[in-house]
Amino acid sequence: MPETADLSPAQADLAALVAAFGERLRMAGVPVTPERMARFAEAVLITSPHTTSEAYWLGRVTLLTGHFQIPVYDRVFDEYFRGYVDLVEDTRTPASTPASPLDAGERAPRDTGTQQSGGSHSPITSATPGLDARGESEVEEMSMLAATSLSERLAERDFSECSAEELALLRRLVEQLPLVPPQRRGRRLRRHARGARLDVRSTLRKAYRTGGDPVHRSQRRHTERPRRVVLIADVSGSMEPYARVYLHLMRGAVRALGSEAFVFATRLTRLTRQLSAGGPDYAYARVAESAPDWAGGTRIGTALTRFLDEHGRRGIARGAIVVIVSDGWEIGDPREVGEAMRRLGRLAHHVIWVNPRSAAAEFQPLAGGMAAALPHVDTFLSGHSVRALEELLAAIREAGERRRG
Amino acid sequence: MNVQGESLAGLLPDVDSLSRTLEETGYLADPGLATALFCAVRLPQPLLLEGEAGVGKTQAAKALAEVLDTPLIRLQCFEGIDAAEALYEWNYARQLLGIRLAEARGDGLEESSLFSRDYLVERPLLQAVEHRGPRPAVLLIDEVDRADEEFEAFLFELLAESAVTIPEIGTLHAHHKPIVILTSNRTRDLHDALKRRCLYHWIDYPTLEHATAIVRMRVPEADERLVSQIAAAVSRLRTIDVQKPPGIAEAIDWVHAAVLLGVQQLDAEAVQRTLGSVLKYREDHDVAIEAGLAWVSGA
Repeated sequence: MPETADLSPAQADLAALVAAFGERLRMAGVPVTPERMARFAEAVLITSPHTTSEAYWLGRVTLLTGHFQIPVYDRVFDEYFRGYVDLVEDTRTPASTPASPLDAGERAPRDTGTQQSGGSHSPITSATPGLDARGESEVEEMSMLAATSLSERLAERDFSECSAEELALLRRLVEQLPLVPPQRRGRRLRRHARGARLDVRSTLRKAYRTGGDPVHRSQRRHTERPRRVVLIADVSGSMEPYARVYLHLMRGAVRALGSEAFVFATRLTRLTRQLSAGGPDYAYARVAESAPDWAGGTRIGTALTRFLDEHGRRGIARGAIVVIVSDGWEIGDPREVGEAMRRLGRLAHHVIWVNPRSAAAEFQPLAGGMAAALPHVDTFLSGHSVRALEELLAAIREAGERRRG
Repeated sequence: MNVQGESLAGLLPDVDSLSRTLEETGYLADPGLATALFCAVRLPQPLLLEGEAGVGKTQAAKALAEVLDTPLIRLQCFEGIDAAEALYEWNYARQLLGIRLAEARGDGLEESSLFSRDYLVERPLLQAVEHRGPRPAVLLIDEVDRADEEFEAFLFELLAESAVTIPEIGTLHAHHKPIVILTSNRTRDLHDALKRRCLYHWIDYPTLEHATAIVRMRVPEADERLVSQIAAAVSRLRTIDVQKPPGIAEAIDWVHAAVLLGVQQLDAEAVQRTLGSVLKYREDHDVAIEAGLAWVSGA
């Protein structure tokens, strides 16, 4: 790269140049603060770069905060300092999220009445706000008494048998479920009346008052820390009636417990960030954007392997309580499911598998993926209704305290 | 501060000179990493290095300390690390002795004298702040993602002000602002407040030529042809579906193992004997065997 960068203060007003470049980056989605721009300017002054490549590295080191920002930075830098615009990159607009896999969701197995009003919107973006408006006005119209009795009735109902209005009401119920973080033993010690260890610092402090003799003893013991919870939900076609309800639960868990949330159908998508910001409708709209395989086929084995390789092994699954929501219908090789579950079982503290289909009386774990996964599952639950969700939450709470067995 | 800046400016006038001196210590840095380290020293600003395990994050800090001829103070982070392990602790046993001694002599004892420097045990962060020069120490805060989130907040004062506060003594400012290098394996997202205070550099896997040059430098006794074969084999292993793609550290281990076993040329049989030094999961061995050991060896 022999071209000269237009960066020396003699040739251009450095501050204006840096500010304009920072602004361009910010428009492209990299949050560049004035502090970082100042740092960039200072670095340029110290080194007075001669080539574009030197300027590239100075900017990259001073302006970015994460690995994921590098592609955007590269594009903006090329545009700004090398003067070419990548047309292919630029034509992708946020509106052009692939619509076809989402359309598959329209063939929901049950007749949900007036639920689908629009034609080709994604099930989340169209259904949830629609449901929301209708559901909320409905709830307000209803008297308290009626609402309560309806809630009680609904709490027992299988999600797959609920109408759109009922699902909207259920969403309220799900959001009200008490989320208690599971605990684990922390490494730190804190003073405690019945602690097993001597608190030397505090004992000596007290000893000053008794002439240097340690008369009053203080003890300490390990603190309790919240244990991480990871939720992985199957949003393939066969799980469609349950997927949205579980999304509510996931949103609650991400916000209240700091959990990690993932969904998969044919591929794995991490939703923790999308679910943690904004109101519910905003969050679900972003979910629809980021998981284009919504209501597609199921590749549990591939999704779990990907989870382990990219997230689990790095630390998210280590010592965590991992909850997998899926009916175990696998279109890939069930052996891959077994292998992934075996690895997960070794990493996680406790693995809970939730299969809403298992509530049926005639249920037998015959689905290939399910049969392969079961030997590596610590707790198996149905989670098909709000009552069953309460059981799930209790299981998560208890799993935290239990020693690994 | 200014004096410090000038002495370092003399030592490291530009990025190229840093690259050259790093190379003399046996560390080959690509232009990106050299720029990052240069900015960390000259701005000066803490530097956050991220990258897959085994790309030389820790090594970069060691090499920088060697170039500057200054001590490397290392703080290995782990879950539950706290002030007593990272910053300072009072020497309780010594305080108790002090009390007893004063008692025996019949002297009065001020509590403040018990909380003076004499009774302070310095941990890495305090050591870095207290370092007396002539040049600033390099402080390596290794694998900061392993520490609790609360611990990050605890680093802010050090990163922004190069100072630490001990309630009983007061705020201690660094004579020579330590050069702080943080590393992370990205097991979790670091807090934005921490990132805001740092320069950032992502270390990618090195290119084939770069990897060959690094291994050649680190294992000079190895045959040149063997080194190129192993560097190529490592980049081939990275293309198949292994759980832990081997980094430059694994390549160096592999060359060491091959040299130790007297391997002249990498072939399927040699790969099989030494595979344990580069792939550390049984499943990965299966994947490699499935892909064909001859293919891995490039024979």
